[in-house]
Amino acid sequence: MSNPNYSKEKKVGEGTYAVVYLGKQLASGKSIAIKEIKTSEFKDGLDMSAIREVKYLQELDHPNVINMIDIFMAYDNLNLVLEFLPTDLEVVIKDQNVLFTPADIKAWMLMTLRGVYHVHRNFILHRDLKPNNLLISPDGIIKVADFGLARAVPGPREILTSNVVTRWYRAPELLFGAKHYTYAVDVWSIGVIFAELMLRIPYLPGQDDVNQMEVTFRALGTPTDKVWPEVSTFPGYNKLQIYPPPSRDELRKRFIAATENALTLMENMLMMNPHTRWTTAQCLECDYFRELPEPSNPADIKLSK
Amino acid sequence: MSTQMITGTMDDYDDNKDMCPICKTDRYLSPDLKFLVNPECYHKICENCVDRIFSLGPAQCPYKHCDKILRKNKFKTQVFDDVAVEKEVDIRKRVFNVFNKTLEDFNDNLEEYNKYLEDVEEIVYNLDHGIDVEKTEEKLRTYEELNKQLILNNLERSKQAMENFSQRQQFEKDMKLKKKLLERQIEEEERFNKEWAKKEIVNRLSAAAAGTAGGDTNDVIEGVRNTVKLKKSSARRKLEELNLVLKNNPYFANTNMAGAGGAHPRSSIPYTPFNGDRDLHQRFALQEDKYSDPLVQELEKRSDYTASGFRSDYVYERVLTEAFMGLGCVISEERA
Repeated sequence: MSNPNYSKEKKVGEGTYAVVYLGKQLASGKSIAIKEIKTSEFKDGLDMSAIREVKYLQELDHPNVINMIDIFMAYDNLNLVLEFLPTDLEVVIKDQNVLFTPADIKAWMLMTLRGVYHVHRNFILHRDLKPNNLLISPDGIIKVADFGLARAVPGPREILTSNVVTRWYRAPELLFGAKHYTYAVDVWSIGVIFAELMLRIPYLPGQDDVNQMEVTFRALGTPTDKVWPEVSTFPGYNKLQIYPPPSRDELRKRFIAATENALTLMENMLMMNPHTRWTTAQCLECDYFRELPEPSNPADIKLSK
Repeated sequence: MSTQMITGTMDDYDDNKDMCPICKTDRYLSPDLKFLVNPECYHKICENCVDRIFSLGPAQCPYKHCDKILRKNKFKTQVFDDVAVEKEVDIRKRVFNVFNKTLEDFNDNLEEYNKYLEDVEEIVYNLDHGIDVEKTEEKLRTYEELNKQLILNNLERSKQAMENFSQRQQFEKDMKLKKKLLERQIEEEERFNKEWAKKEIVNRLSAAAAGTAGGDTNDVIEGVRNTVKLKKSSARRKLEELNLVLKNNPYFANTNMAGAGGAHPRSSIPYTPFNGDRDLHQRFALQEDKYSDPLVQELEKRSDYTASGFRSDYVYERVLTEAFMGLGCVISEERA
């Protein structure tokens, strides 16, 4: 506790490489979270994800992206001072006591898309979007968090690893092992989150990497060269079972409460071909956000009884 | 007629929910057993017993200690499981049929209207809990006598509102059905067209092969495709028209107006997709297909790049952004 500006009060979580404490900024009395990264245990220096997190959070400043207030060293450990965000979308989706309306979903989607749009416009790929990483502030604002897998958009020659994004939210090009993917992988994740918000259960829950392909294509149709040029050149494409893409009517039946515009948005975010998948800007401009009901006021969404 | 009495006597009989306490018939043995209640005392009696006991005219309730005289035509099916709820709903229905003023009748004076509602609630409560029943009933009757015309008018009005609503529902249902039919029609037509095109191509090609007509294979295929395109389609046009009608339909417009009006005071800031946070004054405009960068152009052709979703415009946009970044940014101003 060597930093005089902040206090650590309670341990709230522990991961493989970091411990999270609840604390206060002493000068202002504001609640904060301190992520203490255990550098001393790593012989090879700092963990990769810690470097990524610091690197990109420093750059980003947006109401829908988590705010890093400060960084300091104490006892050989790196400490990130982050704004305090009490809950996340995963908790909300799983809590059977919380009822939310289509207007609430719209508000969440809107905030998420704005946050991710800002990330993309700064040439950063998030690569780990899932409900668990969309934190919610005390006044209901969604904040995109956990930049441990983020990276800057590579130069055209650079090779990317396809082993990113939590499995259920992984875009088809990643499942195929693409090495030159784009922002489109993040949009896919948001599309799956959108579906999950409407269903309140995970939309594409694959048990392992192979099964994830099966589940994804059974729900959304197996891509062919016609809708996605050159998809058949991916290794592993040939072994696939061909499923037809779902018709509008089938989608309507699956998402009973969704409006036509909501389905259009979801379809375009879950487009197989990353070329034709909508960008975050296109998503934000779609009719779904303009039609009634208006998105709820974030502060009015009740997250607990 | 107090609730206490009801529950008191019910306890003696109501051990088994699915058994008629009078004839002891069980739902297990006769699955189509139906229970009826009479608003006089709300004792539950099965249909057969009602027929048996009350067919010859009014008779006393067969429950022990209940001395109400019941008539067969007043019996009805119980909607709510809880007798107390059933009773309150009935009372409300009766009272609201008489006390049916709306806000308009008070010239939109909310305070007066609320006072009136409070009075009505008082009457309902009294009747429900057996307080001053005689007096309250008297009140109800006097009011009814005094306001006969008004009550009738209001009844007419609410009837009309109901009618409007059901009309609208019917309209929307019809439209939906029509839409579905059209969509199916389009799908079918498309399938048919596809097949027709396939056949036509084969036919024409075989004709060409036989030497009766010249022409390149590709030309033939192109020709057939174009005809198919032109064929699309009366159903599609109809669907578009229908969508237009739906958008402009009078019922819908009404609700939209109401929705917009209701929502307005809440948010004074109009909705914009980016919440006002979008750089529309970039210092460059991305051109399409106008850059010649051999490296990128070559990469664009490689299948592993194409399949991954690689897009040259992303590359150019980034390069241009970085090239122009910081231009027009005065450091001394930023510092201040």
